[in-house]
Amino acid sequence: MSEYLTTTFDKFELRVRKGFYYTKDDLWVSIENGKVKVGVSDYLQKTSGDVAFVEVAKPGSTVEKDKEFGTMESAKTTVELLSPLSGRLDEANTKLSGSPELVNSDPYGEGWLVIIAPHNIEFDRASLLSADEYFKLMLEKLQSEHDKLESR
Amino acid sequence: MEAQEKKVGIISCSGEERVEGTISRVATRLVLGKLRPNETVTICLPLFLAGGREEREFARDYPTITVDGCDKMCAKIATERYSGKPASTIVVTDTLKNYQCPKLSSRRKLNDETLAVARKVADRIAEEVDEVLKHWV
Amino acid sequence: MDVSGQRKVIVIPCSGIGKAFGSISREATYEVTENLRKDTTQTLCLALLVSGDEESLRLVRNNKCITVDGCPLQCAEKNVKLAGGNLAGSLRVIDAYKENRRLKPRSVTFLDPDGRQMAAALAERIAKKVDELLGGL
Repeated sequence: MSEYLTTTFDKFELRVRKGFYYTKDDLWVSIENGKVKVGVSDYLQKTSGDVAFVEVAKPGSTVEKDKEFGTMESAKTTVELLSPLSGRLDEANTKLSGSPELVNSDPYGEGWLVIIAPHNIEFDRASLLSADEYFKLMLEKLQSEHDKLESR
Repeated sequence: MEAQEKKVGIISCSGEERVEGTISRVATRLVLGKLRPNETVTICLPLFLAGGREEREFARDYPTITVDGCDKMCAKIATERYSGKPASTIVVTDTLKNYQCPKLSSRRKLNDETLAVARKVADRIAEEVDEVLKHWV
Repeated sequence: MDVSGQRKVIVIPCSGIGKAFGSISREATYEVTENLRKDTTQTLCLALLVSGDEESLRLVRNNKCITVDGCPLQCAEKNVKLAGGNLAGSLRVIDAYKENRRLKPRSVTFLDPDGRQMAAALAERIAKKVDELLGGL
């Protein structure tokens, strides 16, 4: 059984990792040992293009749900990264400063962004999407892009 | 999104060494961006050659048109080798024999006349896309 | 070395057709081989290496090569290595972008002003690498 939900758009396979939670802004959240790891979804990395810079708040900073904790920049666009929950940013993925392409090549693994110690995970988790829910949302976004192209 | 949409993969050479390679590239981009944007997908030849999974799978599962600058036909050879016979092949040097061509510009920057030639090649590719889609089973 | 016996460095871009950075790799290569270091460099069609063109294979095996890649997949580098080429340098467009963050090239088919500026910056890096390889000639 695959650990991903997948769909194909043009020649691209887009994957949603099962067992993770997601935000409407295309970030994933994985809960491990009371802490929360955060990264970008396959859909977001694909639509952003080749990532050149990832800049996040310093470890030790307080982050607030739905407020910016960093940015991800490619030649195509700059994405504001909005925190999926409130807490203390404990760790940033230092590999990304030398190898930002990890976000593109392994968005659910080595391309993770930050680890957060949550203030109230049960409260914040209630507003996150399950993998199935996010997959549906992603399909809607893809359909909307497809319709935009058709109407050109 | 799960039912197979009718799309045609265009695999162009980018022949850096000669102007016909640049014409091939520009003509393909015109088809992808303007003439048939909803019906075509680009296959990046260098990625295809280096083993790009998505490129090779698409070229295996969907009809392809190869666009080569010259009779060395790198795009056609690669497609046949790694994915399957293309539905159609276009060779720019052959296609140019059908037009009254001015002296072509440098490979680096197409002048207006050479760009007009690229547009004719793009029209030709678009016709082939329509033909392939007409016979889609 | 070319037929005249002069040492040359072979500069090979990926020319990826799907992204602006692919076009930038191509344009930067032309700037070097046709202008900045026109006597000591040349380019060749990447796809010819994979299709087994004897002359191209001989060129990359007998001369130092620099690849210029538009994205982290590094197809030019991979393909030159697969062909047994004498890979002496691998440059990436993204490294030129990191030093010129204000530039946001958008256009793929024909480079916009930001794309041309980035190509010019990258061309300087390539030229510097060429000088290094040829011992400061």
